[in-house]
Amino acid sequence: MEQEFIKPPVEVRYKEELEALKATDTGNKPENWQMSPKAVRTFILGSPKPVVYKDKEYLIEKKYLGNDALVERCIVTLAGNRGLMLVGEPGTAKTMLSELLSAAISGVSTNTIQGTAGTTEDMIKYSWNYALLLAKGPSREALVPSPLYVGMERGILTRFEEITRTPAEIQDSLISVLSDKVLNVPELGDDGFLFAKAGFNVIGTANTRDKGVNEMSSALKRRFNFETVMPVREAAMEKRIIINEVNKLADEAHIAMQADEDVAEILASTYHELREGVSSYGHRIDKPSAVMSTAEAVSVYYQAMITGYYYGDAEISMEALVQNLVGAVSKENKDDLEKVKGYFNTVIRDKSSKEGGLWKEYYEARKWLR
Amino acid sequence: MERILRSKEMAEIILLPVRHHSPACALHISRMIEKIRPGVILVEGPGNANSLISVMVHEDTKAPFAIYYSYHDTTGLISEEKEHYRCYYPFLDYSPELAALRTGKRLGIPTAFIDLPYGDILAASQEGKGLLKKEEEKNNYNDDYLLSRNAYLGQLCEKTGLRSFDEFWEKYFELNGLGQESEKWFSDLLTYCALARENTPEEVMREDGCLAREIYMAEQIQEYAQKEVSSESPVLVVTGGFHTPGLMKALGAESRMNALFMWEAENQNDALPAQKTENQNDVLPAQKTENQNDALPKRKAPKRTTEAIEVKNRNEALLKRKVPEKDQGVYVMPYSMEAADALNGYASGMPFPGFYQKIWENISEMDTPYENAVLDLIVSSGKETRKKEGYLSTYDEICACAMARGLAGLRGKQEPGAYELLDAVLSSFIKGECNMASDTPMRILRKQMTGNAVGELCSSADVPPIIYDFQTECKKYGLKTGSTLETEVTLSIFSSSKHRQISMLFNRMNFLETAFARKVKGPNLQLKKDRNLLREIWKYKWSAQVNSALIDVSVYGATIEEAAIGLVKEELKKELGAKESAILLTKVFEMGLREQLQTVYDRVHELMLLDVDFYSIAEALKSLMMMEELSILYESKMEFSQLIHLGCQKLITLLPSMTRIKDEDLDQCMKALKLLYQLTGRDTDSQFVQEREAYYEALQRMSQDVEIHAGLNGCIQGILYGSGKKTAEAVEMICRGYLTGTSEQLFCTAQFFRGLFFTARDLVFIGTQFLEMLDEFFGRVTEDEFMGLLPELRMAFTYFTPREIDKIAARVAALHGKKEDILSRKAILPDWYSYGKEMDAYVRSRMEGGEVSHE
Repeated sequence: MEQEFIKPPVEVRYKEELEALKATDTGNKPENWQMSPKAVRTFILGSPKPVVYKDKEYLIEKKYLGNDALVERCIVTLAGNRGLMLVGEPGTAKTMLSELLSAAISGVSTNTIQGTAGTTEDMIKYSWNYALLLAKGPSREALVPSPLYVGMERGILTRFEEITRTPAEIQDSLISVLSDKVLNVPELGDDGFLFAKAGFNVIGTANTRDKGVNEMSSALKRRFNFETVMPVREAAMEKRIIINEVNKLADEAHIAMQADEDVAEILASTYHELREGVSSYGHRIDKPSAVMSTAEAVSVYYQAMITGYYYGDAEISMEALVQNLVGAVSKENKDDLEKVKGYFNTVIRDKSSKEGGLWKEYYEARKWLR
Repeated sequence: MERILRSKEMAEIILLPVRHHSPACALHISRMIEKIRPGVILVEGPGNANSLISVMVHEDTKAPFAIYYSYHDTTGLISEEKEHYRCYYPFLDYSPELAALRTGKRLGIPTAFIDLPYGDILAASQEGKGLLKKEEEKNNYNDDYLLSRNAYLGQLCEKTGLRSFDEFWEKYFELNGLGQESEKWFSDLLTYCALARENTPEEVMREDGCLAREIYMAEQIQEYAQKEVSSESPVLVVTGGFHTPGLMKALGAESRMNALFMWEAENQNDALPAQKTENQNDVLPAQKTENQNDALPKRKAPKRTTEAIEVKNRNEALLKRKVPEKDQGVYVMPYSMEAADALNGYASGMPFPGFYQKIWENISEMDTPYENAVLDLIVSSGKETRKKEGYLSTYDEICACAMARGLAGLRGKQEPGAYELLDAVLSSFIKGECNMASDTPMRILRKQMTGNAVGELCSSADVPPIIYDFQTECKKYGLKTGSTLETEVTLSIFSSSKHRQISMLFNRMNFLETAFARKVKGPNLQLKKDRNLLREIWKYKWSAQVNSALIDVSVYGATIEEAAIGLVKEELKKELGAKESAILLTKVFEMGLREQLQTVYDRVHELMLLDVDFYSIAEALKSLMMMEELSILYESKMEFSQLIHLGCQKLITLLPSMTRIKDEDLDQCMKALKLLYQLTGRDTDSQFVQEREAYYEALQRMSQDVEIHAGLNGCIQGILYGSGKKTAEAVEMICRGYLTGTSEQLFCTAQFFRGLFFTARDLVFIGTQFLEMLDEFFGRVTEDEFMGLLPELRMAFTYFTPREIDKIAARVAALHGKKEDILSRKAILPDWYSYGKEMDAYVRSRMEGGEVSHE
């Protein structure tokens, strides 16, 4: 794979896999979809049997670990008349899921509106190239299409990231597009109606932490099917995710290191216990207010790994891990660090005396918690 | 299905595996019976329920109902505790066993249950296993856990991408199984069951009595087959799928298995695996495919003779304990969908009985029973959501329908099932984040999928004697059991003995948790409240549930009184504290139970002995004394003096450890002391006279503790003074000790007075020393300190009557050289008051220059 990006888009990363699936797909396809819903499911949830294409075997790995039924519902929703809205805590892989879905269904995951507090209506609908506008008057050439416009024109999915960061009145410009599937450009006169092509739909993502920032109007809510993405509830699965993601990142950055199972387990259990508020030994733990998401755990691990790679002897050290953990938890509230300290002084202490080994190192690295 | 071919001694035996509660299975079983026309149908179920079959298949009997089995271990076969046991065998319209019985009736084929009687199953199970499981909830006879929980299954679900065994079952056996040939369906099920059984350790099967039951069932089957030898028709055996391979083995048919499987191979074509591969990526573990046809025959087949001996030996070993018939009870009782739902924790068969009931009703009438049921439930749950939440539109329902269909397609199911329905409602009905506040539609749907039907029994159904007893009692007292309207009765329990007896009946029914009657008003002995009331007002209402509840407790006795006393004993087996056991005794008192009370007393005695909590015993003592007082009114012949004596002794022993109590416990502690004072002061009873000295000794010892709570000390001094053990001067000394102590101790004086006045307020009126001391005390504390102590002081003076307060005030006034009259305020007449008020208003308004208002 060519390494031109820090992070290649999904359709580039899994190009061959997608091609193999497309070529071997026998299911019914909704109009303008690149592959059938069943193949989309296989792409995201993996398949135990390798797909054979051009004399090569492709083992489709499971890309989204979590709730299989949720993925199935998402696929069916996108084939239907309503948009898909993924809501949940930060770091629950909502964006990743939406990228996987659009790459599999439309072949592109980059047709995206990135919602911010400064998003305006013309970023959602269309704007003008003013030089052309002055030279030629309002015409299709002078129009700069937005991702939504592109999606309707080409019959592909449009992703709307962080929709609730956008002011409610701006969000509402989606309402008529989603229900009537038509966008009116009055400046173009009679030709100004853009009718959505089959295959068009919208995947939105929204953070539950943003609740109350910009509440979605109920009119807009009605145009979406909501899927709540829950944080991973099992420490074992969290460990799997950390290892997978870290290895992927390391690969992309040409770091010749692999994630260590035991370290990943320690980190996964730390995040898991701090989020759930109870340890595997039954200690009650004060929950930090900072987001203790799996995505955060991945970045803590990855940072510690880089430290080890460049400054250490290509070994991940517990000290680096704890140092990065400090940076990750003490973002919003000073008390959080105290809570993590307390966690180390009770739970990790007990584990280190019982399990020894890495746990002991981990416990000794607590001096960096400050 | 399994066939054991006809031989010289026996008719042909056909074994059909079933899963309890499955519409597809029920459908196929009826079809098979019609096709095979067996000579007799044998169904898995405790043999002692055979007499109930006619009631179960009666046309007036409506499912859900359950067979109720009870067993009282009078001979101590199971454990030394000689406990009561019971379990339920629920039937729904779509239970294959019931379908088999009903079809049998329709076609005039005799039917019978062939399992061990309930008590024998218990005897064959190991403690804590199988039906002896210690769960707080009900035990079910037909628990499928052996089929639905094993290592093999976990892998199967993971590989097929399904959430649980229930979803697996629905997909392969219900949805895709409805249109299949019955033979193929049963053969698929048998394959699954054989694999489930291979993955269950024999140890587990032995522990929960599974093997013993199979041996017994095989014997029964052989007996029937021998009887039917002359007829051409086969013997059909319907058992849980898990037992079918075991029965084959027990019937000694293993060596003939090859032939059987060949017969099957002709009829089916690689049933399961072929179908699975069609469903794109749902690949079953390789094990399944491989095992399909050769797993069982491969097993080594022992020679017939040795196996027969082995079987016989095992039979004797497992069945040597025969349970007496008389200790077992078996009845049919109405059941409810809620109770039958596996999701409610009873773990019997499939969840969502309401949903599958709809499927069962649809099966014969339409081609797409599931799709119609899903649509029905989307609409009905949508309607209720609209009523409750108000936001749901018809378009949401359309989207939900499309979602359910789409998911079925994606998951390779022929029609949307229960899980697609749940997913559809989750994604289309819930707006925003799914959480406690927004998941109302899901809760509504779940409830509707459980259903709310309640069963009914035909009039000829046999009922346990306790129900006859209940009916006779009701008739005797003229209570209406025909109407379902609530009736109110007022009972003068102390003046009419008939009323008292009705009250006793109500109390007993309440204690048995039958929901027959409830007390609206009347003395409450448990809380020691409203004891001044002379009448009780009750409301009662008869319903079918009352009978169900009575059947439920029939294991405890043949009459209501017997059952009540049985349940009391059951309660007493728990580790109750003295307080709780005394409260239980108040219930016994109210229920007017007369029999077998000695064992109850003994156990309460034991519990009181075990309890070391002072306050718990004090509470118990209070309850006991209250009952003793009320004995005559309630015409009770219960004996409490023993227990009271014990409580009294225990309290006195515990007393010395109570000196350093917390402030909040003071009141309770003082009351306990007073209670003891009253008890030991009883001259009539010689046993208490003995305790008197011990009591005073304990008090003396307590007061010697320097760190004793001041209030308690006051209380003790009062008692000692009252009993003549201490002189007023001695008490005064102690009081002065506090008064002249360091500041902390000085403040304790208020508490001391409170305790003292609680027990010996007359001290104040002897001489003037105490009043002088009080006066001195007030003089020593500052204004702020006084305000802090005020609550305590107020408490201290509440023990005096108003007249006494006046008397104290007069003396204090004299102490300060004032005359009595400065204290006395004469009462003001109302007229005077209103006149004064009017005058006041008048003057004010004049001064402000306004008008005079007449109020």
